[in-house]
Amino acid sequence: MAIALKSTGPRQLKNTLAQWLITVGGISVLFTLVLIFLYLLYVIKPIFESATIEPVGQFEISTAAPTLSAGVDELKEVAFQITEQGDINFYQLVKSAAHEKSTLVLNESLLSEDKTLVNVVNSGVEKKLLIDSDGEIQLIAAKFFSNFDSGTREIIPSVAYPLGEESLAVDESGELLTQLSFSMNDEKAVFVAFTQDQRLIKTSLLAEDDFTYDSAYETLYQEIDFPADHVNEILVTPDMRLAFVRSDDQIFVFDLTNEDIVELKATIIPSLEQTSTKPQHITAMALLSGSSSILLGSSAGKVTQWFEVATDNGRQFKNVRTFNVSDTEAVTQIHTEQFRKSFYTLTTSGNMGVFYTTSEADLWRGQLTTTEPNVFAISPRADGLVVIDENQLKIFSVENEHPEVTWSALWEEVWYEGYPEPEYIWQSTSGSDDFEGKFSLVPISFGTMKAAMYAMLFAVPIALSAAIYTAYFMTPGMRRKVKPTIELMEALPTVILGFLAGLWLAPIIENYLPAIAMLLIMLPLSVFVTAFAWHKLPKEMKNTIPETWAPIILVPVLLIAGGSAFLLSPFFESLFFGGDVRQYITNDLGIDFDQRNSLVVGLAMGFAVIPTIFSMAEDAIFSVPKHLTSGSLALGATQWQTLAKVVLLTASPGIFSAVMMGLGRAVGETMIVLMATGNTPILDWSIFQGMRTLAANIAVEMPESEVGSSHYRILFLAAFVLFVFTFIFNTFAELIRQRLREKYSSL
Amino acid sequence: MISVSPRTLDPKVKLDLNNLSPEQVALEIKNLNLYYGDKQALQNISMSIPKGQVTAFIGPSGCGKSTLLRCINRMNDLVDICKIEGEINLHGENIYGKQVDVAALRRQVGMVFQRPNPFPKSIYENVVYGLRIMGENNRRVLDEAAENALRSAALWNEVKDRLHDSALGLSGGQQQRLVIARAIAIKPEVLLLDEPTSALDPISTLTIEELINDLKKQFTVVIVTHNMQQAARVSDQTAFMYMGDLIEYSDTNTLFTTPAKKKTEDYITGRYG
Repeated sequence: MAIALKSTGPRQLKNTLAQWLITVGGISVLFTLVLIFLYLLYVIKPIFESATIEPVGQFEISTAAPTLSAGVDELKEVAFQITEQGDINFYQLVKSAAHEKSTLVLNESLLSEDKTLVNVVNSGVEKKLLIDSDGEIQLIAAKFFSNFDSGTREIIPSVAYPLGEESLAVDESGELLTQLSFSMNDEKAVFVAFTQDQRLIKTSLLAEDDFTYDSAYETLYQEIDFPADHVNEILVTPDMRLAFVRSDDQIFVFDLTNEDIVELKATIIPSLEQTSTKPQHITAMALLSGSSSILLGSSAGKVTQWFEVATDNGRQFKNVRTFNVSDTEAVTQIHTEQFRKSFYTLTTSGNMGVFYTTSEADLWRGQLTTTEPNVFAISPRADGLVVIDENQLKIFSVENEHPEVTWSALWEEVWYEGYPEPEYIWQSTSGSDDFEGKFSLVPISFGTMKAAMYAMLFAVPIALSAAIYTAYFMTPGMRRKVKPTIELMEALPTVILGFLAGLWLAPIIENYLPAIAMLLIMLPLSVFVTAFAWHKLPKEMKNTIPETWAPIILVPVLLIAGGSAFLLSPFFESLFFGGDVRQYITNDLGIDFDQRNSLVVGLAMGFAVIPTIFSMAEDAIFSVPKHLTSGSLALGATQWQTLAKVVLLTASPGIFSAVMMGLGRAVGETMIVLMATGNTPILDWSIFQGMRTLAANIAVEMPESEVGSSHYRILFLAAFVLFVFTFIFNTFAELIRQRLREKYSSL
Repeated sequence: MISVSPRTLDPKVKLDLNNLSPEQVALEIKNLNLYYGDKQALQNISMSIPKGQVTAFIGPSGCGKSTLLRCINRMNDLVDICKIEGEINLHGENIYGKQVDVAALRRQVGMVFQRPNPFPKSIYENVVYGLRIMGENNRRVLDEAAENALRSAALWNEVKDRLHDSALGLSGGQQQRLVIARAIAIKPEVLLLDEPTSALDPISTLTIEELINDLKKQFTVVIVTHNMQQAARVSDQTAFMYMGDLIEYSDTNTLFTTPAKKKTEDYITGRYG
């Protein structure tokens, strides 16, 4: 009978089918991994993108009088200008059912008589304070409503008068004002102004009820003691706490919180490099969102940020950071966003720069107009700009989603407002609206490392000793029972471990701290004493216990040692630590003590990691070929020498990967660290302090982060960092393992 | 009958194995019984192994020849269920005595196994391993011992330029000679070879056999082999074992040419085995 050389029929089919299934399975696993990786990158990518500014349209506005101020609605559909003659004109920017593009939608005269406007002061995004030629002021607000009557959206503009339609005098004596700044909330409005007769005045309007419903108020006039004879700029913070008054190159900071007297709180004198050829001056000033920082632009093209910092001599304004806007031109205008810490700078030639203070990001530079525009406004959502330049109204769209995230903000020390020095801080949310997210990945990456380190410190010695004993010294019968039992520990859900660690173990450790310290000494000591006693025991007595079960003797010994440590704990506590170790540590040693600390995490996560390390290391040691151990023993080596010089050496690649697998698990572990660490993102190696890890951070914050926000994307970045961490660990471990294997693999 | 190469037949050494003088005896095995659990693996073995000669143990698989060999340096101690009765005397002292340090015994009675088992270390470190575990760390002493051992094992010329390369890079035959060098570096009195060539190719086998011939000038060699030709080629005395019994023990020439027992004759003529 001839032998069939080609397999045919069902056998061939099965073969092909199996081959395909395996190939598809393998490739799809790889494909999924790559997809996860790509998705992470896709979510992270926008935070590292720079800003883009694109023109979206421009048209001529046909007004004879120069424009003093401009603005736009939230959806960037209707823009307005306020002219010197006191007219407000609304223009349609996008074609709608009722209006063509660039048509005049509404025109209103804001001034009652034949007065003209001298200046317009912006306050927030919608309020404009008009100063007329008589030195009287009027507050208006451009309001926009959406109307869907025609089936499509129509933005209907209107003008509101929050303080009433009557003009009011800021100065009690009716003097003309050279500079004016204003800020208000529902109950109060504050004006700080400099009059033509060189008085600095503060005028407060106190609402009888609430400005939102009723514009009735009483007026309070105050005069401020002011040392200089002229004023260039005045700024009042939105919270009405401080007023910054610039007189040439000095900025006087006044405290407005006291209703009775306005006190000079500080004087900022920026150090300006004075060269004989080109003296430098302050040329612009702006308040950064959040009411704490002030930005100063200089003729040297620099913008400096200042805020109050706690120093040894109390709180002082400090120059925190400097932005280099231009090498040749002066900074003439600084415009800040209302809700974020971004700012726009303009120079005389119309060069614009976009910066973000905290991240020190230089986001965009370019030229929107050929000369410096006289009117410049940022849209309410900071996604657009309105520029009026020689009767041309130009609209730009701004793509600047995540200016606060830069490499340096994530990984380097950042000097946040109100902090005494640059620090690594993770604090993503808070109760207040003007809070700035602090997204340093350093503390949480550090926490990951710290948790893993303490876990490994606990797990590695125990797991490796157990593995050596089980694989090399234990009788086969006992090994068959012990190994699966320890491996079973791995199946314990980590949420249970974390729960036990956080709620049961942490209070015990806190109450019996001396016992924990004593255990460290007493457990190994009792083992040694027992072993020594066993060694010295007469043979007849030894024979009564089968050798297989001899190690069981250790169980009661360890229980007694452990128990006595806990029993003696209160005694030691009162003897050495004045009755309360916790107090002793915090007060006498000056070490902070958290109940959920690294010790708890180390024990709990160590417990979770032990089976992983044990199981792999045991396999590695057990699979050292018997002929190698025999070879060593036959040369007159003792068991110990054989273990140390041959067995561990040969098993080293396996032991190493066991430890690295354990480390990988400790780094990625979530539930235990989530429940047992206290989740405090601090940078401290102390064993009595908690930590927050990358994994726990994602678990804690992901549910409450707004999709698409910087916070959301940074959490994805944290996931990516974790991914990279484990990737680096595993690659590194694999490389070393390969090298060890090459060196020590035995046949 | 198997032809015996004249090389191994040294007329000078024709010993009366039953009446050796104490100086001629390297090892004396007396009434040795060995049990693996309930099963008896060696039955009342008594024999004297002469000094400075090559003694071969032959017999079919499972006859107990390797077990007997492993008794001589107490490698069977590692088997938990193994129980030994009787005695083996080295220098007139029972190696199963209570005061015997097993590690010290094994330094006197070296052993080479079936499969080459170099440690995953350099060639040099393999050779000096036995000295190092005895606490010898003097570089000069170690260098000298390594060179001597490698020369004795006929490996020096092949490895002298790569002493610090991994031993695992050597060929099987070289590895086995390295293992022999490792065993003789600590200068044992007796060298036990447990089927040392069964994992090797014919040329390596030949090298090892020549080496064994040289080794007996310095050591008493006991070899277990499956290969009767090898026993005939290398040994001076041969012991034939069967089912745990020592059937016949005489000088090699006699055993292979005029066996006294029927079982021996059946085995060496290939009726079973």
